Amino acid sequence: MSAPLSRTARLLDLVPYINTHQGIALKDLAKHFDVTPAQMSADLTTLWMCGLPGYTPLELMDLEFDSGYVTIRNAETLAKPRAITFQECVALVLGLDLVMGQFPAERQDLMTSARSLRERIARQLGVPVQLQATSSVSNEVVLAINKALNQNSGLLIQYHALYKDDVSSRTIKPIYLYELNGQRYLRAYCFSAMDFREFRADRIMQAVHKEVPHGISSHQASEEKIGFGISIKAATRDIAERFGIVDLTENKDFSLTSYSRQWIERSVLASGSGVVITSPSYIRDSVIKSAQQLLDRYEHS
Amino acid sequence: MSRKIERLINLTIALLATKRYLTKSEIFRTVEGYEGTPETKERMFERDKDDLRTLGIAIEVGSFDPLFSDESGYRIRSENYQLNLGKITSSELALLSLAAEAWQGAALEHAAQSAVIKLNSLGIPADTLEIPGVPLKLSNSATDLNTITDVIATSDFLSFNYIATDLTVRSRTIIPFALSNNNGFWYLTGVDQEILEIRTFRLDRIHGELVKKHNKEVFEIPTDFDIFGSMDTTQHAIATIDVRKGKGFSLRALATSIIDLGEWDQLSIPIVNRETLTSQILWHGLDVYVQEPSDLRDYLVSQLQALILNHE
Repeated sequence: MSAPLSRTARLLDLVPYINTHQGIALKDLAKHFDVTPAQMSADLTTLWMCGLPGYTPLELMDLEFDSGYVTIRNAETLAKPRAITFQECVALVLGLDLVMGQFPAERQDLMTSARSLRERIARQLGVPVQLQATSSVSNEVVLAINKALNQNSGLLIQYHALYKDDVSSRTIKPIYLYELNGQRYLRAYCFSAMDFREFRADRIMQAVHKEVPHGISSHQASEEKIGFGISIKAATRDIAERFGIVDLTENKDFSLTSYSRQWIERSVLASGSGVVITSPSYIRDSVIKSAQQLLDRYEHS
Repeated sequence: MSRKIERLINLTIALLATKRYLTKSEIFRTVEGYEGTPETKERMFERDKDDLRTLGIAIEVGSFDPLFSDESGYRIRSENYQLNLGKITSSELALLSLAAEAWQGAALEHAAQSAVIKLNSLGIPADTLEIPGVPLKLSNSATDLNTITDVIATSDFLSFNYIATDLTVRSRTIIPFALSNNNGFWYLTGVDQEILEIRTFRLDRIHGELVKKHNKEVFEIPTDFDIFGSMDTTQHAIATIDVRKGKGFSLRALATSIIDLGEWDQLSIPIVNRETLTSQILWHGLDVYVQEPSDLRDYLVSQLQALILNHE
């Protein structure tokens, strides 16, 4: 939307807002509408010139804001807020979906009123467009996990265990994050369980930095990044997304790093005929050994 | 610029306040800001009408006098202009504020905020709602959700380059009609114009710009698509897969049934995509074993053989 148009929209929305917030401080009004106080003064000055045809003081809107506090009179025509736009409906419906996913089980009342609201707002869309959002992985959690992975540090997480249906506090050291079927999973060493665990990222409700002891297990996670080389035999989207390679091409070699030997091995195995690990040789040998063991199991049964 | 804004607001007020249709000549005579030659005024008015429409304000065109229908008139009906969500309570208002907060830092943050301003202008006393837990946020998408919602609103064509499973990039043109966010990934569903079938696209696999093109035809939103039922797996073949106890969390999430076998559990998993499932099974190495069907076993074995051969 062009600048004059979005300003027109703001002015139209200012009238009903001031109408129900008579005497609001100009600087607060500016904050609500996300503009500078100077811009708000300019907006109010423009509004002050508007009104019904005739444009005498009888028809013009009566705005008072010299004192730093804003009042409006004689603005009946624009006094009611405008209908919400299509995009605003979309934003509210998807937002409500997410909020609904967070209600505690005992708050059925909230669920009922959120559902009725969602229905009323969706009706305003005018067309039967389908919208849906499910409890998503919190952005903050993903950021905290990525930071911990990059710095090789620990996290204190609040984890909602689906099967036990309780929330527990755990100190973990993330090892790698992986994605399957549109779900993100985190493999980590859990200091509470004293073992390695997998966590579904969307069930981690909160994650904050925490110092953890170094050297948990050299087999599972290294203190140093491991450099490894792969050669691409089949360029697929799965492989590109798994290894995070943007310019994936067939028969090309790539040098990558990871803190986790296990993640490297699993990623190469999962890529089947599509990837060859070229270095280091101990991981290469281990991948071949696992593949052979698996193959033996299938061929001997 | 502020002259134009004044004129748009004065026009809105005049058209809202009138009880009958106003003719163009009445508008030019009474509404402040229409100046110049008749052609200039005419052009100004046409542009102003378009601008108000862009703002979502519907101008109704009607006949001023049924006996002399040569001159049409204009008005804005207040029931179309004003917010009408029925009676909104304080706690509903609080729910909507929470809904808008989910967009903080994400694509439709601005739209969500302007909706909240309108709702807060109703003069309903605010209520604060305490919901335990950390508020979730809708993930931001590199793809332009503003353009996407605009195209959905108008049932226009949307073209983009999409990365296929074999990594080839192909141009797709769809009429989108559904948008969803699942676990942080955005999905857009529409009718693919090349094959005239419903397809769903993950937004982070769109490469480059979104291009909107006007659709002159009437588009009927398909009724045989259900966004909530899109994970329906009943029509897929079922794989029987053994998973070691305490392992294979992500495979367990896909299972339709789990039988306890002692050291192992036996899972039934719908085969939505053979390649993807094979790769998930291989990821878990020796903790997973496929019992049936044989074509899944054969495919898995061929992948392992090729992997070993490739490493020789």
